[in-house]
Amino acid sequence: MSLDLIEPILFGLLAVMILGAGLGVVLADRITTSALLMAFTFLNMAGMFVLLGAETIAAFQVLIYVGAITVLILYGVMFTPQAPRSYGLFFQKQTPLGALIAALAALPVMAVAFAFRDSGRLPARGGDLVPIATSVFKDFAFPFEVASVLLLAAMIGAIVLVRRDEE
Amino acid sequence: MVPGPFGLDPTFWAVLRLVISVALVLFLILNGALLLIYLERKILAVMQDRIGPYHVGPFGLLQTFADALKLIAKEDFRAGQTDRAFFLAAPALVFSPMLASFVVIPFGPGIVGADLSIGLLYLATLGSMGVLGIVIAGWASNNKYSLVGGVRSAGQLISYEVPGILSLVTGVLVAGSLSMVAITEGQPGPLVNFFIIPFAFVTYFIAALAETNRTPFDLPEAESELVAGYLTEYSGMRWGTMLALTEYGNVTIVCGIMATLWFGGWQGPGIDSGPITGPLLGVLWFTLKTYAFILVFMWIRATLPRMRIDQLMSFCWKVLIPATLLNLAVTAVLLLAFPGSLVPVAIANWVMVALFMLGLPMLQQRRLRRLRARLRDRAPGMAAAG
Repeated sequence: MSLDLIEPILFGLLAVMILGAGLGVVLADRITTSALLMAFTFLNMAGMFVLLGAETIAAFQVLIYVGAITVLILYGVMFTPQAPRSYGLFFQKQTPLGALIAALAALPVMAVAFAFRDSGRLPARGGDLVPIATSVFKDFAFPFEVASVLLLAAMIGAIVLVRRDEE
Repeated sequence: MVPGPFGLDPTFWAVLRLVISVALVLFLILNGALLLIYLERKILAVMQDRIGPYHVGPFGLLQTFADALKLIAKEDFRAGQTDRAFFLAAPALVFSPMLASFVVIPFGPGIVGADLSIGLLYLATLGSMGVLGIVIAGWASNNKYSLVGGVRSAGQLISYEVPGILSLVTGVLVAGSLSMVAITEGQPGPLVNFFIIPFAFVTYFIAALAETNRTPFDLPEAESELVAGYLTEYSGMRWGTMLALTEYGNVTIVCGIMATLWFGGWQGPGIDSGPITGPLLGVLWFTLKTYAFILVFMWIRATLPRMRIDQLMSFCWKVLIPATLLNLAVTAVLLLAFPGSLVPVAIANWVMVALFMLGLPMLQQRRLRRLRARLRDRAPGMAAAG
């Protein structure tokens, strides 16, 4: 049994888990459950990246989304007062509209997906570390730096907004 | 596919190898935890002028085995108002990243689960995943002390990840690879990376103490203020998995990273001596180096008091992160400016170590003076009393 045979099975499993967990994020009644299921979705996405031979992106996916973003969301949830209100989240009350928009968004995606033909061989497995490094620090160094300046500005803005005045 | 030994079919060998390595790592974690708990109790006892465990077995060696048996035999108990699914999931969420980390640790020449090209990044990634389980445990316990422990843990671990990863990046710049095996093989002589980038080692050591919740950064489970922090509601083997196995497993991993990245991992005298003795000696050197750091961790626990949460955070954001960023920038610039020579990097790093050690007490004194002056201005009566 070689990897070529296992790959579609793994893909199917991951796809089912991503879709299932994604549905759970939207449908779950409690925000903590949603947050944990979201972390699960991110983990499965990392599995997809590994399947595509992009281990570095998978590692960053887990490092940033599971290790930091989900924890920060849980952190926020813990500091939010739990008012005695119905747990139905904002988007659960608009099911018909949501279904319509989802269907509209799904149409072009499906059109593209079914029109896709294998466009020759992908680069062989051998790690994606070097390709990522060259594209970030050589080919697209300027956009990368612009994005980081943007993030810096956002961070300074956040600090200024929450800063208490010196008494 | 790796061909198997003794003419085994490669596919069969791949599965067999997986089973053997997971079993070996589980064996290592379980026994390592028993041994480390015994060592910690004995060393703390010696440092505090006590005897420590001595009833069960020779020198009390079997004490931790007895404790583990008791934990396994305990009733699987859950307090009534806890959040069932999260409460049960939290120990697994903490344990499994730690277990998976052992895949890339090179124990000896040729003895490694998988030589990933992104080994160090993989370890940093799994290190960051453990926070999730701790936060969930604190939340699900439905207990104020647990929640405070979980929230502290989230703040502390996410903050200290930054200097930890920045120090690792500095080490990777000098080593030239993210693969743990390649990093080890790049330090054959006695001139290991520690002599080139000691400052990155110092900052990583501090960050590693914080990331494994060890004293002086054990705020998430501070027993004198929070009962046991996020562990308060746990008992039996769930408690054992979260505290004993995971904490000591994580300590082993960060000490293994330090031994590999800065002290040459399994490199040592006699590793080329033969097909059997070479790997065995390599395992010995790796174990000795790793356990040396673990002993320092225990020594620190016996010596230093716990930091306050505001001191902890301000130390990370105001001292450690600027220092590691500066170190990273200086190392990168010097490596580009003097290609092929590591001497300028080494000089700059040793200077930074000296400045760090001299500057920190001075900063602290200035801060204390300012604090006293402010107190005096605000309440003259109180300052006189203090």
